[in-house]
Amino acid sequence: MNGTLAVARYTLIELSRRRILLVLTVIGALGIAAIGGAFKIAASVNPASISFGGGPGSGPIDPAKLDRVNEIEFVIQLIGVIGFFAVLIAFAIGMTAIYHDLESGAAVGIFSKPVSRLAFTAGKILAAVAAMVVIVGLLSLETRLVMALFGGGLEGAMWVETVAAVANGVLVMLIVLALSTWMNNIIAAVVAFVYNVVIATVVVSLHNSLVAGFLGDNAFLNGAVNVAYWLVPHHLMSDAQRQLAQAEGELFAAAGSGGPTPADFVNGVAGASDLQDIIWWAFLVVLMAALVYLAVRRRQV
Amino acid sequence: MAAVVSVEGLRKRYRRRDPHAVDGVTFELQPGQAFGLLGPNGSGKTSVVKMIAGLLRPDEGKISLFGSEPGNPAARAQLGFSPEDPDFPKFLRANEVLDYFASLLGLSTEERKRRIPETLAFAGLDQEKRQVRQYSKGMKQRLGIAQAILGRPKLLILDEPTADLDPLGRRDVRALIESLKASGVAVLLNSHLLSEVELVCDTVAILGKGRVLKEGRMAEVVPEGRTLEDVFVELVEASAPAKGDHLPSFITDKDTP
Repeated sequence: MNGTLAVARYTLIELSRRRILLVLTVIGALGIAAIGGAFKIAASVNPASISFGGGPGSGPIDPAKLDRVNEIEFVIQLIGVIGFFAVLIAFAIGMTAIYHDLESGAAVGIFSKPVSRLAFTAGKILAAVAAMVVIVGLLSLETRLVMALFGGGLEGAMWVETVAAVANGVLVMLIVLALSTWMNNIIAAVVAFVYNVVIATVVVSLHNSLVAGFLGDNAFLNGAVNVAYWLVPHHLMSDAQRQLAQAEGELFAAAGSGGPTPADFVNGVAGASDLQDIIWWAFLVVLMAALVYLAVRRRQV
Repeated sequence: MAAVVSVEGLRKRYRRRDPHAVDGVTFELQPGQAFGLLGPNGSGKTSVVKMIAGLLRPDEGKISLFGSEPGNPAARAQLGFSPEDPDFPKFLRANEVLDYFASLLGLSTEERKRRIPETLAFAGLDQEKRQVRQYSKGMKQRLGIAQAILGRPKLLILDEPTADLDPLGRRDVRALIESLKASGVAVLLNSHLLSEVELVCDTVAILGKGRVLKEGRMAEVVPEGRTLEDVFVELVEASAPAKGDHLPSFITDKDTP
């Protein structure tokens, strides 16, 4: 236990001194402030330019509902920034936390001390997760501040999204950590990006379309999408996107244009992650942590 | 007296198609003994000490470190290891590196407060405030030796400890080895500096291509009137095929401008 805490403590000190993390945190903070400011300014100047109400032939738009849509969209933009920077930070931590010790020779001194490889791995993961929580937590606090300054909306979803951003970031970080103990850290980051971001996004989108009935009833295609779905991470999320779709649908319905109903808007938009997704996330986290440990354990330095 | 470390029939190769880096090495080290492990580049010295420190796994053979396997963390509690080309977490400072390693050794807060400043002063790093990434090779070497003695080990392994040190640093390391020997600590010294080994070691083993070419007490290995260097060169050359002219022709050719 002492060994784990010592490794975690000094890994955190090291991480806090890495410029890349500081730069990403600052850019993330500036990005949140800039997006919040820009969106609100644009919304106050010309609300219709931000949303989509008031087309030719449609009825009058309820200003309160339009505000609601704008607020939700604004919050979703901020949530997107947090999620994006959480992933960048996860890459930055995952690429350096263990790789540099193993490659620089620092591990020689550490492993010759009475510390087990399990304690070392646990300390590294603990520090990496703590760093993620602190950085994403700070960005989230700033987002709350920006929301409060500009009117707010979706505060509940905001907290869920913060937790989800940390959870998604932790998984990406563990994938990069696991890969970087087997291969060069840049290649590890590229492989993790392709797997976790590109492939997972495509597969999950296909699966959402399948669930919404958009892919037809081709049994082979449905089977392939279902199998692929359980081979990739499912990014955890709140129901903010669905709330936005619902609000947009209500806005259109209120305008009385006779177009799609609110249910049509919501259909096909992914809702909050369910228990299955959370269990799948937990399984992948344990699996990746185990892979990191196995790689560290077999590593000869 | 129980051996601090005993190595028996140790074999190791890094890839299947490669020859053995270590091929049947056997020796024992007693408390208070200074053992010199000598050999040309690539003779397997560093591989042997890394296996003793639990950093490499042997393919065959047995290592007993304080009666246990080197993979057992408890066995390494009494081991101090200063690697060749030491490196450390590069964003830490010298005192933080020592505090980190002291924590891994399980030293109490009081002990850390006492030992770290004294160890830094011994290593000449007590005034150093920069992070390790800004250190010279010599400073890293000093820090490597400092972290190795921090836990007051019963076995100190020094792999090329003076390679990057200035003459004063070398003198300090010699004094350290003498002092540790006198207090019953076993020292395993890997070095190319044969004059240094001759000064401080009681026993030597000369390795060539992973095998022990000769081993014994210094007086047995180095006969009267000869030096350790004479014996070393003779043994190593006898074990390796003749290389002929050592210098490239463009150096020795007088007609080439």
